[in-house]
Amino acid sequence: MSSKNTGAVKSVGVKIGIGCIYIFLISVVLLTIYPIVYIIMGSFKDNQELLLGGLNILPKKFVISNYVNAWNLGNFGQYTMNSIFISLSVMIITLLISSMAGYCFDRKDFFMKNFIYGLMIAFMFINVGSISLRPLFELAVKLKLNNSLWGVIFISAGASQAANIFLVRSFMKTIPKELDESARIDGCTFFQIYWKVILPLLKPILATIALLSFRSAWNEYILPLVFTMSNAKLRPLTVGVVSLRNSGDGAAAWNIMFAGSAISIIPIVIIYCLTSKHFMSGLTAGAVKG
Amino acid sequence: MSEKNTKHKLLFSERVKQSYNRGDISVWLMMFPAILMLVVVSVYPFIWIFKYVAYDYNGFVAYFVGFDNFKRVLTDTQFWGSVVHTFEYAILKLVFILPLALAAAVLLSQKLRGSSLFRGIFFLPTVISAAIYSMIFYFIFASYNGVLNGMLNAIGLIDSPIDWLGNPKIAMISVVIVAIWGGYGNYMILFISGLAGIPEDIYESSKIDGANAIQTFFKITLPMLGPMLKIILMLAITTSLKDYESILVMTGGGPNDRTQVMFSYIYQLTFGSDVNSSSVQIGYGAVLSIVAAIIIAIITVIYLKISKKLDDVY
Repeated sequence: MSSKNTGAVKSVGVKIGIGCIYIFLISVVLLTIYPIVYIIMGSFKDNQELLLGGLNILPKKFVISNYVNAWNLGNFGQYTMNSIFISLSVMIITLLISSMAGYCFDRKDFFMKNFIYGLMIAFMFINVGSISLRPLFELAVKLKLNNSLWGVIFISAGASQAANIFLVRSFMKTIPKELDESARIDGCTFFQIYWKVILPLLKPILATIALLSFRSAWNEYILPLVFTMSNAKLRPLTVGVVSLRNSGDGAAAWNIMFAGSAISIIPIVIIYCLTSKHFMSGLTAGAVKG
Repeated sequence: MSEKNTKHKLLFSERVKQSYNRGDISVWLMMFPAILMLVVVSVYPFIWIFKYVAYDYNGFVAYFVGFDNFKRVLTDTQFWGSVVHTFEYAILKLVFILPLALAAAVLLSQKLRGSSLFRGIFFLPTVISAAIYSMIFYFIFASYNGVLNGMLNAIGLIDSPIDWLGNPKIAMISVVIVAIWGGYGNYMILFISGLAGIPEDIYESSKIDGANAIQTFFKITLPMLGPMLKIILMLAITTSLKDYESILVMTGGGPNDRTQVMFSYIYQLTFGSDVNSSSVQIGYGAVLSIVAAIIIAIITVIYLKISKKLDDVY
């Protein structure tokens, strides 16, 4: 009942209806952002204020020392570097693997192609949970990968590759094969066609994959938890914050944990604010086609 | 003979060259990382599990125990308790998260002012790590200095602080609240993309026929959403049965195993819990993983059967 003829004189009922809708939406907004605002504002409160509780959203006294302490004393400097290293590596590896495999799947017939593809899709659904990390951890120990972050990186990239290959493969269908043909006539090899012709055209889908893989690696918890149980130096932020709570002196270190949580949230929220459309389109593309 | 041999060799090298020109070798080189990942990260652990189902394995030594692990499943009340909790958790979560997500999606699909801003905010929790937002709620739920008890106290709803995560009667509800907060944005976006596929003129004609908003929703929006709704439901059911990360962070399955779900129990069997890290029983964990996977598969099949029946009705 919104369109042109009634637009000027909306009935009282419609106005109340729209009012109710806004009240509903705004209360959902408040409930949604409250925890985020709470943790970020809380990270600027001093520890005494945090441990006393209270309903103030804004800190009584605005202190920055939580961040300094977390960074220097709480090892969060190291944790942050680990998180950045893991996420960027996973992102780059994922982009390379998924674009190459998606290109091959769409443009070539090769031995057991459908079997390999089917296996990938099947393992997207076969999920035995955390137990599969046990053999991978033991394998990493054997290969001496457990003293670096590469074990976490490879597993994180490998576990999510099927969905990304799927995205690339379906995007490849929109790139005309005539482009490959003409590049081949110009003397490009199969790899050169990928590198010089296809890769630049895949940019939109690769941007989505980059964001999604960065986010999931940044947010990963169980996998790095298992791999860094005896090696605190390698922990990313997620594991760092939770394990500080579980350690003996954690109960009193609310300020450090607040700062650590905020350090973990702020970068990904900023990235999200700048690129929210890509996040949402990536989600729907994966779900609808998968 | 020798002539034949050289001819064959020539053919072979020619064939190599030919296949190089066709890009066959490049294909395998380019597929190699993906295949390696598939084999190492997905196939190998899957096979490994089946090897250890017959062992009592604590991470250092493995003893062959035959079918003991399987027999133990039948009498393990802790596991079947966790199965019940898994269903309780999943049902509670779905009952609230799907209507909330659908309501938000329907409202934001109208051309309201600021709807893309609302959408952006509602989706925000899904970009944050489950471990971190579980920690945030751990602080919010804290019984003595937590802000939730503070608020309820200030309004006058409670006199004494509620132990949100430590009280066996309430812990499950607290855990579900966090799951709803962290996940509804996902389903909202999926619903919105489903709603976008419904042609505008159907709404136009229903408006001309004088249908009100509620009639339009039940007679047009829901049925037209059908196929997409089925995918979303399937996704929602399977993911909520597999959730355990935030439970592990917030309660570790406690208090008194009240929030222990299948996968948090299996996690603690395979990697030890904070309380008892010496109780690692990987062989038994492997058996339970298979049982859990079968339970989820059965639920999925039942769901597919039911949704097909619904199709026939329409």
